[in-house]
Amino acid sequence: MGNRFGVKDLLLYLFLTAILASIWLAMVQIDRQWEFISLTEEQLEEQTKDIAEIRRRLQRGMIPSAGYQNRDDNESGLNANTKSWRGFERALQAQQQPDYAQGDWLVDYFPDNLLTLTPSISSDTYAAAVQQRVLDTLITRDPETLEWLPLVAESWQISDDGLTIRFKIRDGVTFADGEPLTAEDVAFTHRFVMDERIAAPRWRASLARITEVTAEGNEAVFRYEEPYFGTFELAGTLPILAEHFYGRYLESVEAAEEFNRSTGLLFGSGPYRLENPSAWTPDQGIVLVRNDRYWGAAQPPFERIVYKVIQNDAALLTEFRNGDIDFYRARPLDYRELKDDAEVAKRAQSFQYYDARGGYAYIAWNQLNDGTPTRFADKRVRQALTYLTDRDRITNEVMLGYATPANGPFNPLGKQLNPDLPTRQFDLDKARSLLAEAGYEDRDGDGILESAEGEPFRFKLSYPSGSDDYKRIVLLLKDLYVQAGIILEPDPLDWPLMLKALESKTYDAISLAWSSGFEIDLFQFFHSSQMATGGDNFINYASPELDALIDQARAEMDESKRMPLWHQAHEVLWEDQPYTFLMRRSRLDFVDRRIQNIQRVAAGLNSPGLWQMPTEWYVPAPMQKYQD
Amino acid sequence: MIQYIIRRLLLMLPTLAGITLLVFSVMAMAPGGIGANLMTRGGDMRPEERAAMVAYLNQRYGLDQPMSVQYLRWLNNVLPIGYTSTPSGEREFGFKQPDLGMSFVKNRPVLDLVADALPITLLLNALTVPFVFIGSIMMGVYTARFRGQALDVGIGTANLALWSIPTIWMGVMLIGFFASEQYLKWFPTSGLESMRADSWTFLPTHTPDGWQHGYLLDLLWHMVLPVICLTYSGFAFLTKLTRSAVLENLSADYARTARAKGASAQVVLWRHVFRNSLLPLITVAASILPGLLVGSVIVESIFSIDGMGKLVVEAVQMRDRELVLSITLITGMLTLFSYLLMDICYALADPRVSYE
Repeated sequence: MGNRFGVKDLLLYLFLTAILASIWLAMVQIDRQWEFISLTEEQLEEQTKDIAEIRRRLQRGMIPSAGYQNRDDNESGLNANTKSWRGFERALQAQQQPDYAQGDWLVDYFPDNLLTLTPSISSDTYAAAVQQRVLDTLITRDPETLEWLPLVAESWQISDDGLTIRFKIRDGVTFADGEPLTAEDVAFTHRFVMDERIAAPRWRASLARITEVTAEGNEAVFRYEEPYFGTFELAGTLPILAEHFYGRYLESVEAAEEFNRSTGLLFGSGPYRLENPSAWTPDQGIVLVRNDRYWGAAQPPFERIVYKVIQNDAALLTEFRNGDIDFYRARPLDYRELKDDAEVAKRAQSFQYYDARGGYAYIAWNQLNDGTPTRFADKRVRQALTYLTDRDRITNEVMLGYATPANGPFNPLGKQLNPDLPTRQFDLDKARSLLAEAGYEDRDGDGILESAEGEPFRFKLSYPSGSDDYKRIVLLLKDLYVQAGIILEPDPLDWPLMLKALESKTYDAISLAWSSGFEIDLFQFFHSSQMATGGDNFINYASPELDALIDQARAEMDESKRMPLWHQAHEVLWEDQPYTFLMRRSRLDFVDRRIQNIQRVAAGLNSPGLWQMPTEWYVPAPMQKYQD
Repeated sequence: MIQYIIRRLLLMLPTLAGITLLVFSVMAMAPGGIGANLMTRGGDMRPEERAAMVAYLNQRYGLDQPMSVQYLRWLNNVLPIGYTSTPSGEREFGFKQPDLGMSFVKNRPVLDLVADALPITLLLNALTVPFVFIGSIMMGVYTARFRGQALDVGIGTANLALWSIPTIWMGVMLIGFFASEQYLKWFPTSGLESMRADSWTFLPTHTPDGWQHGYLLDLLWHMVLPVICLTYSGFAFLTKLTRSAVLENLSADYARTARAKGASAQVVLWRHVFRNSLLPLITVAASILPGLLVGSVIVESIFSIDGMGKLVVEAVQMRDRELVLSITLITGMLTLFSYLLMDICYALADPRVSYE
């Protein structure tokens, strides 16, 4: 009996377990320190190289030629010779502010985990947001005028037929390790993505339009087979990968496989860099540090950009209230409440704005179900339903005024929208007469419309389940439609089922949203060739007139001639109503007060997450919160 | 005994095959198909991109093959014996490296993903389980001893109340009141380490700027709220179990005999009764082991911790077949092993049980 397991033994075992656990934790910590040391060593090596290079140049009597030379000898920071630096104009202006200071961190958040940061194999928008800060593109857009500005490219030339684009690469652009960025790297990026061994089928498909990319001296030359209005953007916004960093993954199948499985091979020439660009894993947290070798005219102000992953809404709001994150992207209800919250107002600035790339929500009317035309194949029915869809009530009651009615696929902040087209207002009488014209009348006096065959007008409206906004919109529509004698049955669907319904095109109507861009191509959604399985014309809409307009607009390289074509296309859509366009949401952002120079611009906010754009935001020295 | 163990081990193989076949069929029959969810994370995708993605996945994972072929292929991959294709394209039969495959969605080896998530879950449970067990054993024994008195009723009611509180509500309340500057900012809201923990020492150190609490304390500090969430509802069940077992043994003949020969109440309770009451606890301990490995998705998502719970639920939601199958295989195997271990423990703890 005496040697059986007792309380003392239990304590002893617990003690031993605790020791083992501490040893394990200590080993983890040693691992981290080892990583830290090897990083420091790497940086030291790069710095030694830099010093050697500077010494060599000094001995030869050369002046270091890298970067932006006119910065010191010109007060305004820009003169006629530096036209190619226009991409940095706004950032340089920000640096002229009396309270401008470098330093501090920007702490952002993602609502979900990142799977990988490696470009080309990552597929989510979160990874894209991080990559944008690390990888440079040839050109960028002016957030105010939306015109193209030079970035890595100094200038460009488009051949008259639009099939060749030559970008002259700026001198002195370097990657984060000091290696120069050349036209070879641009050509390599294309070669790399197009390599079948690299798991980038999506990117490959979108670059398929480019026939070849070659490096000719300091020029990167893109060639195409057919003219397309998006070719310039496609070439100019290609994130440039470094050949000396990514090149080794093309050496063998195993190396390519290693790349495909990587979680964090992210390295470029942008204003920020990953501290350890070759071994990032999701459990390390997403921290970007300033690229101290940044080649641009304006140096990035923030020392670090940190992205926290916070999945729970309550925790997110608490972190923001605590000041642990600098952003809070609110939903309408949150925004209305927090806007008037004294605590929040004390420490945050609120912005309600529309993004020039913001998408739109719509109801798609399926015109062909299982090979037979549905009742939505009749234009008059679709128009009547649009008259019944009271978009003012949707934006005001469901979205609390933080949305604007949409009357077409084009963003009002862009140039594609035809300004002459009115938005159809709610009109019960017009809807009724259109439906009567189409042969729908209340034949048996039960208040519900019937077709000539006596079939009641009843349909299912599918929408993504789990979304409160959609649910409320659909319930409102149900009330509105029943006034005209139409029965709407709400049909919430899970994503996989939704995709299946879209693919097999067996649904009555579906409410969804499309994301958008500065200039969008209607081909994908409304061209009759996209009715094939897998295409996005899942409503089976075919209009020869629109097809012709889309084909013409796509091949037109001259913007001043293309825009009237888009306007005409918009008119066709407005008349045909293949979708009932619902609304565009406004963005509702809270940003910490210490961040200065947040401006409203034509594109939305001059936010550093918008696209490749030198950061204009900064924190004045006395307000800085984080230090290394 | 050894014969018995070997028999049990051999019996595991058809059981495991059955489990994976069942899971595989359920995944295969789920509407929307396997690859469907891969498309959604990227949001907007052009038709040609989508077609390319579908073709790529079909080619890479053989998703266009018949289901039976896909299952057999997967089975062949995870077994240590089976067919391998040589670089020249021939098939060879023999021993090989088992391969759990790649996650479709995360594009990483399944083993890596499990290796990332499992230590976190184990660490959380390593803190939770002793609390739950020691707490409920103490409470169980004392409620049995003071049966019907205020202590018994009080603990019983309190445990029942705790057990009834939904974890998701508790988590949000804890964050709202104990991690918010509006009330008490005692604990962090999410994650397992502070933003700067990388550059800290392991143990607390004194620096010129003041005390720096170090990596270990930082980790423990972050784990306080999650561990509370995992712990509080576990007391009720185990306390009641211990209480009834102790009560039964307290009124047993041998307890009376012990008291009759003059042993003190403490000795009877702890040395005789308590030990005999441990048997049902062993049963329970073995049955909760697989649950511990799978973690708690609710607690993990409230506190943004990347443990097994989230891995499993995300895998199921995204129809990440290889990941679901591999986790099923691993947890299935561990469950069967823990049942075997439990049976062996019975034989060791109770002389009446034998497998000869």
